[in-house]
Amino acid sequence: MIRTPLRPLARILEARASGENPDAIERENLRIRHEQMRDASRGRAEGRLLILSVIFFCAFGVIGARMGVLAATEPAEPRAASKGSAILAQRADITDRHGRVLATNFETHSLYAQPLQMIDKERVAAELAAIFPDLNQDKLLKDFTGKRKFLWIKKKLSPEQKQAVHNIGDPGLLFGPREMRLYPNGKLAAHVMGGASFGREGVHAAEVIGVAGVEKYYDDLLRDPARQGAPLALSLDLTVQAAAERVLYGGMKLMNAKGAASVLMDVHTGEIISIVSLPDFDPNARPSPLVEGDASDSPLFNRAVQGVYELGSAYKIFTAAQAMDLNLVNNQTMIDTGKALRVGGFNIGEFQKKNYGVLSVEDIIIKSSNRGTGRMALQIGVKRQKEFMKAMGFMDYTPLEIVEAKGGKPLYPERWTDLSAVTISYGHGISNSPLHLAAGYAALANGGTYIKPTIIKRTGAPEGTRVMREDTARYARQMLRKVVTEGTASFGEVQGYAVGGKTGTADKPKPRGGYYDDKVIATFASLFPAHNPKYVLVVTLDEPTETSGKKPRRTAGWTAVPVAAEMIGRVAPLLGLRPEIEPGELAGITLTSN
Amino acid sequence: MSYLEYTVKSVPTGIGKFWHLNWALIVLLTTVAGVGFLMLYSVAGGSFSPWAEPQIKRFLLGFTLMIIVAMVPIWFWRNVAGVAYGVSIILLLYVEFFGTVGMGAQRWINLGFMRLQPSELMKIALVMLLAAYYDWLPLARTSKPQWVAIPVIMILLPTMLVLRQPDLGTALLLISGGGLLMFMAGVHWAYFAAVIASGIGLIAAVFQSRETEWQMLKDYQFRRIDTFLNPASDPLGAGYHITQSKIALGSGGWTGRGFMQGTQSRLNFLPEKHTDFIFTTLAEEFGFIGAFSLLLLYLLIILFCVVSAINNKNRFASLVTLGVAATFFLFFAVNMSMVMGLAPVVGVPLPLVSYGGSAMLILLIGFGLVQSAHVHRPR
Repeated sequence: MIRTPLRPLARILEARASGENPDAIERENLRIRHEQMRDASRGRAEGRLLILSVIFFCAFGVIGARMGVLAATEPAEPRAASKGSAILAQRADITDRHGRVLATNFETHSLYAQPLQMIDKERVAAELAAIFPDLNQDKLLKDFTGKRKFLWIKKKLSPEQKQAVHNIGDPGLLFGPREMRLYPNGKLAAHVMGGASFGREGVHAAEVIGVAGVEKYYDDLLRDPARQGAPLALSLDLTVQAAAERVLYGGMKLMNAKGAASVLMDVHTGEIISIVSLPDFDPNARPSPLVEGDASDSPLFNRAVQGVYELGSAYKIFTAAQAMDLNLVNNQTMIDTGKALRVGGFNIGEFQKKNYGVLSVEDIIIKSSNRGTGRMALQIGVKRQKEFMKAMGFMDYTPLEIVEAKGGKPLYPERWTDLSAVTISYGHGISNSPLHLAAGYAALANGGTYIKPTIIKRTGAPEGTRVMREDTARYARQMLRKVVTEGTASFGEVQGYAVGGKTGTADKPKPRGGYYDDKVIATFASLFPAHNPKYVLVVTLDEPTETSGKKPRRTAGWTAVPVAAEMIGRVAPLLGLRPEIEPGELAGITLTSN
Repeated sequence: MSYLEYTVKSVPTGIGKFWHLNWALIVLLTTVAGVGFLMLYSVAGGSFSPWAEPQIKRFLLGFTLMIIVAMVPIWFWRNVAGVAYGVSIILLLYVEFFGTVGMGAQRWINLGFMRLQPSELMKIALVMLLAAYYDWLPLARTSKPQWVAIPVIMILLPTMLVLRQPDLGTALLLISGGGLLMFMAGVHWAYFAAVIASGIGLIAAVFQSRETEWQMLKDYQFRRIDTFLNPASDPLGAGYHITQSKIALGSGGWTGRGFMQGTQSRLNFLPEKHTDFIFTTLAEEFGFIGAFSLLLLYLLIILFCVVSAINNKNRFASLVTLGVAATFFLFFAVNMSMVMGLAPVVGVPLPLVSYGGSAMLILLIGFGLVQSAHVHRPR
């Protein structure tokens, strides 16, 4: 730019000469210069504005076009790409023997907090405490305002709870998808299922692990990806289980018992069709174990498997069977039970100090004579009795496929003396679970083969060990049938199902030695139909008292037997058994040929 | 032309100023804010609480402030530009140490009746300071390196403070707003070319730094960029916002579902539905027609500002007007692009529509400056 001097002397002089005011020229010059500068800047500014306008309009165009494109698209729901699949392994379902679901998985959400992203911590804490009454508002607020960047609030949410939390609307509260174990039948077969909880936990998934029952026993198998989620079929029958639970619950209440257990077993396959322990629990919300007191008072305690009791006279049939099997006696051999029996310094007496006189082996079972079985035990001898008990599975825990089975370890004397042999012959001095007893009775029922009980549906033929001759088992069954028709278990008769069985009433031992005289374990071990047994049912009541008479009655014949009879009447049709007329007694014919 | 060079008498004074306001602009602004009230009413499920009512109050407050600012001569605002900038810097520093933490970022000063975001204040203060600077700076020096360095420092200082909060969206807005103003002031284009080139280089460096010890962005910022580049990669996680808002726009179609009928927003699928993502509600309920109309309203506001700036012979007034317009433009362009998946999700509200006090007040004060420039323009 060529600068014009502020006061171009020549022009001023010229102006002065012509009589003009030089100030006017000066002002004129100033004005011209300003205009030039302004024009230059304007030109440039307008150029820049033009460029910017182009950019603006391009942006408008792009945004407008995008709007059009989006408006024209069909909205599609987004689908989650699988994330964190490392620990999101589908746990296999568990079904009953007919494929009905007992345990499955359920999509739910966990709730966690990221306090750093939380806007109004006080409000969040207050509203969470209102939604979940088990949460403490002050503690939550402390957690939120502390240094923690992450904390779990709830591991499982119901849809209602999730919506309620969502409505709090705080970005610091987040949900994670999570699979949980669901037992759609609630309490049904609770002790078998056990329950599941979470193992390793992540925001996107959590590991579901079994904590008890089959869930824990088969944890690896249920989580094995190679099985591709094929369900695990149990031997249980859902309908039979449900019926058995109802009957047993009613029986337990009616007999004022504090607990009860029942085992229904298929005698040919060893499959457990139903196994009940009361009181029970809901595996969906497994209670925590008792911290003090007797663990067996907890609903978690499986009386049918873990509860080892002296099951009493129900064992007499085993003594009789072994004596017959060893050809020491036959079913009609007469034994003098009236004579005093003194072993190891102890007098063996009968129930209520009765005296039965001379009885046949059959009548010893029917009348339940302690002395009679005691004499047979002395004939058998300690060694052979012990071997037999071992073969019948009474010396080891049951091999049932639930983790609790190992807890049901039998109790028996370390030094097995003659006295032990005598008391064990009528079911005292040895403690077994109801499941042990059921497996033992199954051996009598199926013709003399001991088959290991199983909770898993069997596909092939079961392996068994022969423990007695077939005819021995048959005589034993005839005796058991007569116990119901003529003996202590007369309430056990169920029209059309020919129940056979043996009662057992054992006084409960005191914790510090000795026995209670008003607390018993009442047991009825039965098989049906007696002429061709298909099932064994053991019912045990813990501390029952039957109060309909003048004096409270506690013996199994008054307590466990009617409950078992009711249960058989209820489940037999469900098992596909039709009522039959019992074939006539043919035992006499076989006898004469002997 | 400086204000010393025209007779102030040609500028309206007293109540007379009122008639010289840019009424068309005021009508436009009120219309846009009205759209915002409607949307907030709808998002709350047909209720004035909790959002529409406070928003209306804030608009009235902001509107009053706008008129007051407009009545004050523009040269006053030029003289206090430095003060405004200084106060904003101090407030930013204050937030740095005493601010309220929201959404993982320290952004607010709690004034009791509202939360003030100094970063919002800074947007206008920066525009004022830069305009004043270029008004003061002789034209011939505009492109001299040392005279370019000064405004660059003016821009970078608050940007750094805002980045520390951290608020990537506002930081980007400050840089691009300031840059636009420098561009309009006539700084040589070579500087911009250099900055853009080095910006691309920086982005490359940022991506290089990922998962190294000197990582420059937070993980969530990286995730937002990832999600922006491929929202389908995580539709229920970080891509949730975008996917859901795209669904909302798609379900709105051309004519929309009708007022209060939006499912995406009303059924709580959308987070931040009353703030940054309110545009999706509009798009869903009024469809393409409604959304495009809002875009046109914004366009008209920009257009009025540009026309006013061109007709204003005063350099400060003209630059301030353009600066406010540019800030406004960046607001809605970034917000809409973000909602429609054209830009990564950064926290930028839809101007005058989104629920939020600071942004609304500051924008209206900015438009007060525009009005003041318009009223007090040399004639």
